[in-house]
Amino acid sequence: MSTKIKNFVVCATIAIIVFGFALMFLFMPKAEFLDSERRAPAKFPPINAESIMKDGLEYGDSFMKKFDDGYIPDNFPFREAFRQLKAWVGANVFMQKDKEGVYVVDGIAAEMQETIDEGSIAHAADRITFIYENYLKDKGITPYISIIPDKGYWLSAENGYPSMDYDEFISKMLAGVEFAEYIDIKDSLKASDFYKSDTHWNQEHLVDIAKLLVDGMGGNHDSVYTKNQLDKPFYGVYAGRAPKPLAAETITYYTNENMENVTVFDFEKNRPGAIYDMEKAAGKDAYDMFLGGEISKLSIENPNAKTDKELVIFRDSYGRSIIPLLIDDYAKITVIDIRYQVPQILLMNVELENADVLFLYSTLILNNSSELK
Amino acid sequence: MLFSSLTFLYLFIAAIIILYFAVPFKAKNAVLLVFSLFFYAWGGVKYALLMVLAITLGYVFGLLIEKYRGKPIAKVFTGVAVACIISFMLYFKYTDFFIENFNAITGLSIPLLKIVLPIGISFYTFQIISYVIDVYRGEKAQKNPINLAAYIAMFPQLIAGPIVRYSDVARELEHRTHSITKAAEGVRRFIIGLSKKVLIANSMYDLSEIIYAAEEKTVLFYWMYGISIALYIYFDFSGYSDMAIGLGKIFGFNFLENFNYPFISKSATEFWRRWHMSLGSWFRDYLYIPLGGNRVPKWRWLLNIFAVWMFTGFWHGAAWNFIIWGLFFGILLVIEKFWLLKYLEKSKFISRIYILLAVITSFIVFQIPSLGEAFTYIGGLFGAGGIPFASAETLYYLRSYAVLLIAALVGSTPLIKKLATRFSTSEKFGKIANIVEPVMLVVLFAVVTAFLVDSSSNPFLYFRF
Repeated sequence: MSTKIKNFVVCATIAIIVFGFALMFLFMPKAEFLDSERRAPAKFPPINAESIMKDGLEYGDSFMKKFDDGYIPDNFPFREAFRQLKAWVGANVFMQKDKEGVYVVDGIAAEMQETIDEGSIAHAADRITFIYENYLKDKGITPYISIIPDKGYWLSAENGYPSMDYDEFISKMLAGVEFAEYIDIKDSLKASDFYKSDTHWNQEHLVDIAKLLVDGMGGNHDSVYTKNQLDKPFYGVYAGRAPKPLAAETITYYTNENMENVTVFDFEKNRPGAIYDMEKAAGKDAYDMFLGGEISKLSIENPNAKTDKELVIFRDSYGRSIIPLLIDDYAKITVIDIRYQVPQILLMNVELENADVLFLYSTLILNNSSELK
Repeated sequence: MLFSSLTFLYLFIAAIIILYFAVPFKAKNAVLLVFSLFFYAWGGVKYALLMVLAITLGYVFGLLIEKYRGKPIAKVFTGVAVACIISFMLYFKYTDFFIENFNAITGLSIPLLKIVLPIGISFYTFQIISYVIDVYRGEKAQKNPINLAAYIAMFPQLIAGPIVRYSDVARELEHRTHSITKAAEGVRRFIIGLSKKVLIANSMYDLSEIIYAAEEKTVLFYWMYGISIALYIYFDFSGYSDMAIGLGKIFGFNFLENFNYPFISKSATEFWRRWHMSLGSWFRDYLYIPLGGNRVPKWRWLLNIFAVWMFTGFWHGAAWNFIIWGLFFGILLVIEKFWLLKYLEKSKFISRIYILLAVITSFIVFQIPSLGEAFTYIGGLFGAGGIPFASAETLYYLRSYAVLLIAALVGSTPLIKKLATRFSTSEKFGKIANIVEPVMLVVLFAVVTAFLVDSSSNPFLYFRF
């Protein structure tokens, strides 16, 4: 090829790319949902005199900034292909070991947790102590606490990724809640007990953990379940962020006769709830099927429970998938999430006298606990 | 608007290319001006009005200075014009700095005005000043306000330079040629600059931020910080200059080079002949020489040097770390002139180690606003405080960024350019190079687009300039 032709080819090719993508961006229909990122794309920002005139410290709210940083990248043609290209270049050309903190070992994605946030631990301990001091101490209740390590506990250090000292983390947390009895579940878990593409643990592998918890609180867990599977692929929160493509997974969930006869009530929406919400299962984040997603207060009453004991469980999103496995052992389980509402409101009308009280939190939440109220 | 944004690459460029090449030559500057104002207003409409006011002042005073050239009043007009234009920059850029320091000295607590700095004000202010001074010195004033406004507001060099002198583009504003060859050269230069910015500079910035946020620092971490910051600033700044030069070529202009592989320098004197050359020559021609340059007594000469370097630092940002950064180079230059240069010339190896150490140290001061913290980082380079040499975390990030660091270090030398030139001009491989080049450019453009579509950080170095 002569230099003259090369120059023409350079100009023509880049012009075709620029004009082609400009036209596609302007005229192609926009996606309603970004599947791998599990979120809706940014909408066209409001355009009016006020949004155009914003500048200086208010520039972040301007039409221009929202267009540049939100609308155009979210709605750019072939966004997902470009995202995959970036991940591929990062992993295979730049040989980067993680993509913005997410790494993959043996097909399992995890996020780097390098630093113990002592302030966050102190805040979490403070919130738990508040509940103990105001609702449990006078009733002579000793609460239980169990901590779920994130996958980095098993994957990070031994694969050369920066890692926080999880044992130190748990020690620091327990030191802040010395009144609670610790149920150690970490040694019975392993990385493969979690979804490969998600932060959460997989209910399919939690029967032993449910036994540890129930037995640790003085019960005797011996339930038998039927295994069920959703017939749609599950892509977890890391699917769109990992440096390597992650295979689709399947959500497995356990049922038994007792589960079919429980009464679930959603106090947030003041209506019946569900152990497994099949509407949510069909949605964009199928993990939300467990107890119907993030609901701040829920009760599960089981008329056929083995005991008349009650359980009050303070939990984060990990708790949602293990709680169905505790149903046989308690006549009533009250499920409370203090990320969305203050405990003073959530504990109204909750019977605590005959109850086991369990704080079940992941290291991810305890190390970023600002949302605990 | 940033060059490294999808809005610029796929919407702005598409629109201006269509209109610019659709209109006859006499309307091209008007198209450039309208798009440049739109480009600038995208970052804040009010600031565009300020720039229009500054341009108007430059235009009116240019005509007045030319009209009364040779008479004392012309000097007055020049002084008034420079004072007016500089007062904008002083107000928007330096008011809070002066209030802060006045408060610190007097113990008063005059409230800060929290004025937001209009992007690019330092660049267009210097361009307008150079224009009125050049007219005073004999350059013809621009009669056509659109041409002058198009020169000052021209989007390729508006927000990050190079500082284009009016005399360098005066002829091209009225007569310039466009060709496929020139456009291809521009496209190539633009994509290379864009890749330097998006792939290398942004990654180096990410690395520096990771290190800055790390709790446990090690000697190796401090070195990685210093190196990544130096590479970030170089690739960001030179990448923007490449993009400006490339865009200039597409629209028929030939802007002067702004960077010439400064990291291969063997002295601070050489470094500043290769680093931000348009700023260095601006200060030489509009401050150092008018102050008397070196044709004055030695004490005055030293004063001139330190004044120039203090203002060079201050130009980069209204904070003491920038002033110290500038003075640091002033001191190095004086030491070199009086003593060190003759020794540096004896050993290439030692001279390169010396300048790299000086540059890394200086950019730590440049980047970290707190001087105490900057000195902690500089001390950390030499193990001050008994910190460990490395940790598992340090080694992880060194491994994770090794390819990018090596690519950046190699890319900061002329090696790749030399190899590419040899490859493309050889009889044997020339034709292959002509095939490889377009493919490489398309691949780079696609990868850059991918990094912008899924952008996690796109720092803008010039918000303080």
